[in-house]
Amino acid sequence: MAGDWREEAQALWDRAGKQKSSESKVKLLEEAVRMADSHGDVDLGYQLRDDLIDAATFGGYPDKALVAFAWCRGQQKKDPERFEPEGLLWKQKWVVGRIKEFPHISRKQITDALDDIEQCFTKVDAGKRSVLKLRYQTARDMGDDAAEVDRLWAAWLATPRDHLTDCRACELDDELDHHVETGEWEQALRKAKPILEGRVRCAEIPHLTLGTLLYPLFKLGELERAAEMHRRGYSLTSKNRDFLATMGDHLEFLALTGNLARGLALLEKHLEWTLDHGSFNDRFIFLVAATFLLERVKAAGDRDVVSLRLTKAFPEHRADGGYEVKALHAWMLKQAKDIATRFDTRNGTDRYARRLARIQRLAEEVREFPLD
Amino acid sequence: MPRRPRRRNLEKYPPGGSFPARAVPWANVGTAVDHRFQVSLRGVIDLLSHHLYSSPGVYLRELLQNATDAIRARQHLEPEHKGTVRLELVEKQDGGPPTLVFSDDGVGLTEEEIHRFLATIGESSKREALEDRRKDFIGQFGIGLLSCFMVCDELLLVTRSARGDGRTLEWRGRHDGTYAVQVSEHPLERPGTQVFLVARADMVEWFAPERLRQLGRHYGGLLPFPIQLTVGTERERLDLDGAPWRRDYESAGERRKAMLEYGREVFETDFIDCIPLRSQAGDVDGVAFVLPASPHFNAKQKHRVYLKHMLLSESAENLLPEWAFFVKCVVNANALRPTASRESFYEDSALSQAREALGHGLRKYLVDLAHEDPRALQRLIGLHGLSIKALALDDDDFYRLVIGWLPFETSLGVTTLAEYRRAYPVVRFTATLDGFRQVARVAGAQGLCIINAAYTHDAALLEKLPHVVEGAQVEPFSAADLPQSFEELSMDERDAVFPLLRTAEQVLAPFHCGVVVKKFFPAEVPTLYSADEEGAFRRDAERARDESDDLYASVLEGVMAAAGGEPAQLCFNLHNPVVRRLAAVTDRTMMKLSVEMLYVQALLLGQHPLNAQEMTLLNQGLLGLISAQLGTGGSGGPESDGGVGSGGLH
Repeated sequence: MAGDWREEAQALWDRAGKQKSSESKVKLLEEAVRMADSHGDVDLGYQLRDDLIDAATFGGYPDKALVAFAWCRGQQKKDPERFEPEGLLWKQKWVVGRIKEFPHISRKQITDALDDIEQCFTKVDAGKRSVLKLRYQTARDMGDDAAEVDRLWAAWLATPRDHLTDCRACELDDELDHHVETGEWEQALRKAKPILEGRVRCAEIPHLTLGTLLYPLFKLGELERAAEMHRRGYSLTSKNRDFLATMGDHLEFLALTGNLARGLALLEKHLEWTLDHGSFNDRFIFLVAATFLLERVKAAGDRDVVSLRLTKAFPEHRADGGYEVKALHAWMLKQAKDIATRFDTRNGTDRYARRLARIQRLAEEVREFPLD
Repeated sequence: MPRRPRRRNLEKYPPGGSFPARAVPWANVGTAVDHRFQVSLRGVIDLLSHHLYSSPGVYLRELLQNATDAIRARQHLEPEHKGTVRLELVEKQDGGPPTLVFSDDGVGLTEEEIHRFLATIGESSKREALEDRRKDFIGQFGIGLLSCFMVCDELLLVTRSARGDGRTLEWRGRHDGTYAVQVSEHPLERPGTQVFLVARADMVEWFAPERLRQLGRHYGGLLPFPIQLTVGTERERLDLDGAPWRRDYESAGERRKAMLEYGREVFETDFIDCIPLRSQAGDVDGVAFVLPASPHFNAKQKHRVYLKHMLLSESAENLLPEWAFFVKCVVNANALRPTASRESFYEDSALSQAREALGHGLRKYLVDLAHEDPRALQRLIGLHGLSIKALALDDDDFYRLVIGWLPFETSLGVTTLAEYRRAYPVVRFTATLDGFRQVARVAGAQGLCIINAAYTHDAALLEKLPHVVEGAQVEPFSAADLPQSFEELSMDERDAVFPLLRTAEQVLAPFHCGVVVKKFFPAEVPTLYSADEEGAFRRDAERARDESDDLYASVLEGVMAAAGGEPAQLCFNLHNPVVRRLAAVTDRTMMKLSVEMLYVQALLLGQHPLNAQEMTLLNQGLLGLISAQLGTGGSGGPESDGGVGSGGLH
């Protein structure tokens, strides 16, 4: 037993290596990590966690990525000779970029983590561009003062790229978020052109972009194009819980265009992810879209009960699959409100409350565009 | 919208740099003057060979493409025209570089068209511009011809248009950008085009007869007209006389044999079966071959695809649905859009419809197998279970059809799901190997059949069961569920273990671990530790906190505070003699120490790594036990009050 644990851990690692980032890959690596830890093999534990951070980040487990990162960082600080810092710095960006999405992490801790990554990057002579982007995104998503957000946006774009900067596709996609945020629909579409034409892409682009642009296209009345992007984008993202927020984009689009049956099918399929997703922000985005969809179903007024095959993990799960629309709507809204309150309290702002209130505005914008 | 940061990855951006590009005004034909492109032709050729084409051999593909387009254009004028492409290799007696004469009897070029293709060459200095130009016949012609400069320094083009005045024109171009146009002194008898390529000294290998044969077959094997290669006095046909899958065969058996033979030729693999493919969307047809072994990685299969019967790519990936990685295929598409590199198809709605239709064909094969030859399907499941499971996850009808035949590993051996359900009303599974290990032995001993669903797709497949099969019951199972199947204590036993229960609760409270006492098998197992997934994650976080620096340790405190889930549990087994003795011990210190050690032992047996606090417990506990043992071992030590040390924990 004691003799072949390495083989077993290696076998788990090999199996994980054959998979794309996903729940099962994360589980395999976690198991292997526990084996390495049980036997006190720090080197193996480090290498496995190095992979685990990737799998968890791109497989939709940002909380697990954070835990694995924290362990590696501890080892790396204790013995910088043994564990090379550069590789971990890449991953630190992913971790710090999402730290704000856990409402139980305090503002002070977030600020400390940002200051810390800035110091870490300075130590290896990296430029400020990556950190400025993180600061901009954090300030924006925490609802900080608009002038400060604008200042960081401008500072980010004015700073040159360096060896630790995210790829061009990702950076361009991140720029789009800004224009969507400020309602510059045409600008977002103009900038997205290289992505949409397939000239600029990466592991997550255009996957994310196709969801981001749905609302701008809807606002510009380009419904045919939006429908095409919905089809393409959804099939690229629907298998990976890392794209929970993107599912929210698609769900919102379906509700806005009156494709309620399709919307319910999407809700049915992805609700599970919102129940235990590490990112409360992504949960929130999906829940808001789900609330909006159910509001549309209520407004259609032709049925009080919908049949859904929801996961057993859903607290209000019903074996017969019959769900009262009103009750379901109330549940989604309550979850969304709870998360909004937690974020807004932590942030000391009202961004999430405002995002929730956006549903009312959306209700006035509905425009039927059947996809079937 | 709030989003996440991402990683560097396969960044793709167009090659930089552009060339001054403009063709000189057209000079009259017949004056036979030398002209010069105002363009760095070297640069364009460099661009082509480094950024657009994967190998110099592509020149033959481009020539075939030009010939195909020309023949199609002629057929448009004369529907009866069959078309033929001839390659003649002229090898020099003196060992000088050979010449390839490449001829077609297509539509030919008029004077004005030569003019246009020259303009194309002049302007083709950017990859995007090149791609745009490909869309029309002349543009493609010019770019195709340009690719010949990868293998030769000088080109002679002799052409007579089916639409023109009957004159034969000659264009002679050199890689340095000079060219001359004139009326040919050797007029062609019929419309068509001849290209003379003199091999460049360093590229002679691309003109070897064997290479020409191989390239011609490779790119043009499926073309719907003859392609003849002449070397000296030898003449042979390079085309396959149409796609093998479209031919008529005497019987289904003959067809299968011929297809498998074809598959072997193309992929050098002995496939186990073949499946016809067809899609109206994209006008696609072809054949899929079932791989003889499960693919090593769940990497996508690389397929061979033809566009309008010309080879487009040998590594197209995006043609079949994701689940269908148990086949490799050869297909021809007439109406799909190639990507810029012309090595796969552009991801548009025609492609996604075609993919759906092709997937449908593969699915039909599996469904027919299920109805007509279930044993063959079972063999296929053994070989390509992953593909089949992936499809079943996406497709309810297919799921119903195959789910019963899928084999699963359980705590009582391997069984199909149908057999399992015949024997047990409720399907119970663990979703991780870790979880399975923790329960398998004990569950087996209680006669519980638990499925190990740690393998790819298994858990999702089982969770789907009640949604698709009426009345089916499925429950995830973990070590925490085991005690429910254990025997409860009698009233007397409850009284007897009460002190142990109380002590253990106090000892383990700081470890977020509750305590129960029950009776279960095997009796050698003294305790069973169980934690749900969130509990396991909490333990991971604790270890990370122990190892990390102050900043991240404090961040992790926040994460752990938010973690939900049930507390872990340590279940004592009263069938176990040690536990029975322990329950009777009156020395509280001894009892505490023993509980701590049993707790640590249970963690280690369950492969739960210890956190710093537990590690301390282990170290101090071991010392404590040794010292207790030493104390009583010396024939009746001072503290001997009938404690467990006298025999409980050997």
